[in-house]
Amino acid sequence: MTDLVLIVEIAGERAAFRAGDVQSVVELESLTPVPRAPAYVAGVSALRSRPLTVIDAAAALGLEPGKAGLGGRKAVIAEFDRFLYALLVDGIEDAVPATSELLPLPGKLSAQWQRVALGLAETAAGAVLVIDARMLLAGPEARSAA
Amino acid sequence: MDELLSDFVAEAREMLAALAGEIVAWEADPSDRARLDAIFRFFHTVKGNCGFFDFAQLEALSHAAEDALSEVRAARRVPDAAFVNAVLAMIDRIAWMIEAIDSGEDISTADDAELIAELAGASEGSGEIAVGAEPSGDVGFANRSAGALRSVRLPIELLDRVMSGVSDMVLARNELARRIGDLPEGVGLDGPFNRLSSILADVRDAITRTRMQRIETLFTGFPRLVRDLAGELGKQVLVEIEGGDVELDREMIEIIRDPLVHIIRNSIDHGIECPADRRAAGKREIGLLRIAARQTGNQIQIAVSDDGRGIDGDALVAKAVASGTLGSDEAERLTAAEKILLVCEPGLSTADKITAVSGRGVGMDVVRANIERVGGNLAIHSTPGLDTRIMLSLPLTLSIVPALTVQVGDQRFAIPRSYVEEIFHVDPAGANLLRAGGRTFLKVREGRVACADLGATLGMAASPIKGGRCMVLVRLTIGDPFAIAVDQALDHHDLVVKPIAPVVMQTGLYVGTTQLEDGSPILMLDMGAVGQIAGLTGEAEGRARRTARDEAVEDQAAGEVPVLLFIDLKGRRRAVRVGVVKRYEEVDAAAIGCEGGNAHVVIDGAILPLAGLEAGEVPSGRIEVLRLEDGASEVVFAIDRVIDSSAYSGALTAAEGRDLVAGLTLIDGEAVEVLDPLAIFARFGAQIAPARQPVCRIPAQDAWMQDFLRPIVEGAGYLVIDERAGGEADVSISLDQADGEEGRLADKAPIVRLRSTPQADPGGEGSIYRYDRQAVLDALKAARMRRSA
Repeated sequence: MTDLVLIVEIAGERAAFRAGDVQSVVELESLTPVPRAPAYVAGVSALRSRPLTVIDAAAALGLEPGKAGLGGRKAVIAEFDRFLYALLVDGIEDAVPATSELLPLPGKLSAQWQRVALGLAETAAGAVLVIDARMLLAGPEARSAA
Repeated sequence: MDELLSDFVAEAREMLAALAGEIVAWEADPSDRARLDAIFRFFHTVKGNCGFFDFAQLEALSHAAEDALSEVRAARRVPDAAFVNAVLAMIDRIAWMIEAIDSGEDISTADDAELIAELAGASEGSGEIAVGAEPSGDVGFANRSAGALRSVRLPIELLDRVMSGVSDMVLARNELARRIGDLPEGVGLDGPFNRLSSILADVRDAITRTRMQRIETLFTGFPRLVRDLAGELGKQVLVEIEGGDVELDREMIEIIRDPLVHIIRNSIDHGIECPADRRAAGKREIGLLRIAARQTGNQIQIAVSDDGRGIDGDALVAKAVASGTLGSDEAERLTAAEKILLVCEPGLSTADKITAVSGRGVGMDVVRANIERVGGNLAIHSTPGLDTRIMLSLPLTLSIVPALTVQVGDQRFAIPRSYVEEIFHVDPAGANLLRAGGRTFLKVREGRVACADLGATLGMAASPIKGGRCMVLVRLTIGDPFAIAVDQALDHHDLVVKPIAPVVMQTGLYVGTTQLEDGSPILMLDMGAVGQIAGLTGEAEGRARRTARDEAVEDQAAGEVPVLLFIDLKGRRRAVRVGVVKRYEEVDAAAIGCEGGNAHVVIDGAILPLAGLEAGEVPSGRIEVLRLEDGASEVVFAIDRVIDSSAYSGALTAAEGRDLVAGLTLIDGEAVEVLDPLAIFARFGAQIAPARQPVCRIPAQDAWMQDFLRPIVEGAGYLVIDERAGGEADVSISLDQADGEEGRLADKAPIVRLRSTPQADPGGEGSIYRYDRQAVLDALKAARMRRSA
């Protein structure tokens, strides 16, 4: 696998998205909360006049959600089923080429991560856990299709 | 001469207009003989008419075309693409000449030699001809198009671009409006700005219309789809399509395409049975699938119905309970309609086997989500064994929604303006407010409307409804108006509402999202859902109503008795304790029967005693009923209508001599009779045991009886058996048989005789014309009374 992966920080841990899953990384200017939506939905926003559903990545994993509001967090933009999503992450490290195929996980992860994990990838910046952006968007209740 | 000439022009124009459709069809299939003949006739007529006038060019042109086409008609020449193009160019040139003649210009300058040569040599593979090429002559374009309707073909992407451009212009206009508002008065921008606004409104209107398309474009593919699917599954299905001329936003048509296809697949795969099963069930072997579209106001309704095996609500419930989607206590409280709607829950399907056609898994849940995503909704009606009807209601367009923005806390929301009736402030003293039964009501002119705080409804910080609050009076398409308290009503906007991700739409509270002129995102509320969640819509469907009731019970302050306030059949205001009411629903009066002075009603296959009617009185049409329960048995109470849930406190005033009434109380300043459940169950509850479902015998072999009559008889509360079944029947039905011929019927049940002819048959005295529904129902009722007497 020579694909790019985007290394991010979620809930204090390093993880990576396949670059094919994401469109861009932006800093959102505004965020409108959505009352009565699941807790992992941080709100809605807009990107170039397209509606954007903003997801708190940590909360979507089932971990402690990040602070309310944007709080200077970066957003990873992804499009699934013709809807645009923004995944709020704690930090963006880098987009680097993966130097290996996806490797099976050497052991069990915590349940929250296990659910979204695709495998390990070797990169110049070290091995990272590659996760499935689509699974993340589905929220903490979603079960893996596999 | 002038008159002749104008006749000639008019006739030619008429033919050209009529030909327009033929040309397109011929282009698609140049071997189509009928179309070819129509085009040939056109040239022939033009040529003939030219003889009267001195139009050498026109005559030469039409002559050449006629020659070329007769070659094709005689099969001496094969019409290829170049030939078709040449003919089309010829038609366009003639159209141009006709217009030129009409405006009195000289057409002799035009040089047609090239065109004629092209047509003659077209089949030898010459170069391209520009269709509709402008002649080198100097006839003005403006004159040329005078009086003729012209149409052009445009790529859809271009229309979309124009549409989104117009949407953006509206946004820009809105921002401009805001900036102008900030300027000091008298800068002289108001005039031009208003002009801009009205032009923009016109353009928006026009462009919206260009995006409308007849739903036919979607429907035309369905007969083929049905034919192929039916063939694949070994079924016979007849398709009926109606209302193809209804127009719908093109984008909307695309959005409903997949859901509709899915529904049709389901109907054929799971609904309509295979011919053998249908025969066994006494149906025609050919199943019927109807697809119909209607426009009602700014809604489009599309119904897909089939006469297949229907949806088994109980099987769905069993599946849902087994898979854990539904609690068993919750399951017990579902109405028949709610059970059927379970088909839209993810992962539930009654299909026992996976088929290639509709598969499993991805199902009606996706269909419903797609429909709701565009602000539509989905309803399913089904009678097991008989039919299934799926109704889609859709907004006419996705474009721009006029909206009111309101502020709650530090957040703004948009409300579709069509729902907003009025905006006002509660008077500072709060004198018009009335608090009762955990609810707040507001006096608006003559009536009182229920109120709720938007913040509380949305689960944000709640603030009490008191004097000075800003209220938005909302009227939905059905039901009573209600008022929503907001912190501030901000402004009117034209918003381009866009659907948003399913996770947000699933809250059911939002229609979509949009951006205000300053770019900030804003959610548009679904006022129907807001009303339901706040428990304000009295006539809302099933679940929501019950939820509201449950919440009302929880909210109840100590000492208050929650009641359901209603009007009975005699117009009296009455109330019944909420805890006794199991459900509020509508029944068909045909399901009501009277035996020995005691009324009963058949609901969901059970016979329940019916209270609330005067003795001997049987209503007609549909009536509303309250189903009361004491934990073990049920009594149905017929009413005129429900007013609202309410509450009273304190002791009841005795009401001597009033039947079934525990006492009187005051609700909203009016005297209300509170029902005495103990008395009701003491009198009516005991009847359950003796009441037995009446039995009607119908010949099993008679297809008409089984297909036409049986549903009516069952609807009237009868259990239907045939002559082979043992046991006593309360009544038998025969068709076209004289008195005494029914000897083979062993029991002594009264017989209702039907006849096939509308005219009274002298031989069959006392018979009823079989399509006289009311007479049949009356006879059934009378027969039973006689029996039980």
